[in-house]
Amino acid sequence: MLVDFELIKRAQKGESAAFNEIVLVYRKRILGKISRLIARSEDVEDVAQEVFLRLYFSLDQLRTPEVFEPWLYRLTVNAAYDHLRKQRRRLEYRMSDLSEQQIMMADATAGGKVERDEQHKKKTREFVDSLLGEVSESDRILLMMKEVEGLSLKELEKIYDVNENALKVRLFRARQRVLKAFGSKEQ
Amino acid sequence: MSPMRGNIEERLDALFRAYREAFPDPDASPNFMPHLWQRIEARQTFTFSLRRMAGGFVTAALALSVALGVYMAIPRSTQSYSPQSYIEALADAQPLDTPDIVGTVSLDLSDPGK
Repeated sequence: MLVDFELIKRAQKGESAAFNEIVLVYRKRILGKISRLIARSEDVEDVAQEVFLRLYFSLDQLRTPEVFEPWLYRLTVNAAYDHLRKQRRRLEYRMSDLSEQQIMMADATAGGKVERDEQHKKKTREFVDSLLGEVSESDRILLMMKEVEGLSLKELEKIYDVNENALKVRLFRARQRVLKAFGSKEQ
Repeated sequence: MSPMRGNIEERLDALFRAYREAFPDPDASPNFMPHLWQRIEARQTFTFSLRRMAGGFVTAALALSVALGVYMAIPRSTQSYSPQSYIEALADAQPLDTPDIVGTVSLDLSDPGK
């Protein structure tokens, strides 16, 4: 926990300064999670604000401050899912869809090391994004929370409020689909 | 992609790790907090208006219910109301034993010359 229970209780009582402090503490982390979940940098702040907006109006429903973090991550997952569902689109322009020649040209254009690193990161991002396009929005988020964010099954259980076995089955299926896509793209 | 060694499972894990590194936690823009509070206030205003409107509707519905209750409770005269059926009412108005067509005809014989 990045904040103490007392601060959460004060925010629950409607103290704006306490809520402000919670946002400031968790903001960077939530922005990071959202940027990896939705892969659209221009929408990240908007979705993150939606998360904290939902937090503000649902904070009084939080029974115990101990479950604050899973609660916040649940709000994050739901907001990211709503965003992806609304958009219902993948990146229109993927580097992985470009020809090898175009990628080489893009690499050549990026002269310095920093630019090359950026290009490499961009390609990785877009490749993973295209793989995750093989599964539904909800499975994409679940897989990301497990594989990229590194959350444990216990933590996911709290966030999704479902039993561990159901999560395992769903994760296994989603991963198998991504693996299949990965295998076919590698060839 | 670069991590091509090992089995496909390991390569996928490596790819996810690379993805995690390609997306470091970004910093928020300076407008993040002001925009957030603007959105909170806008939502609060909307909720408040909605509550006021809902409260108005509830009051109006309650007043209407009371008015209807009072109206139904007031006893009214039964003159205009007949428990008879339409046929019975018609029969009462024009009894069959004395229809107009067969009734007595009164002739005025006082001034036969005119």
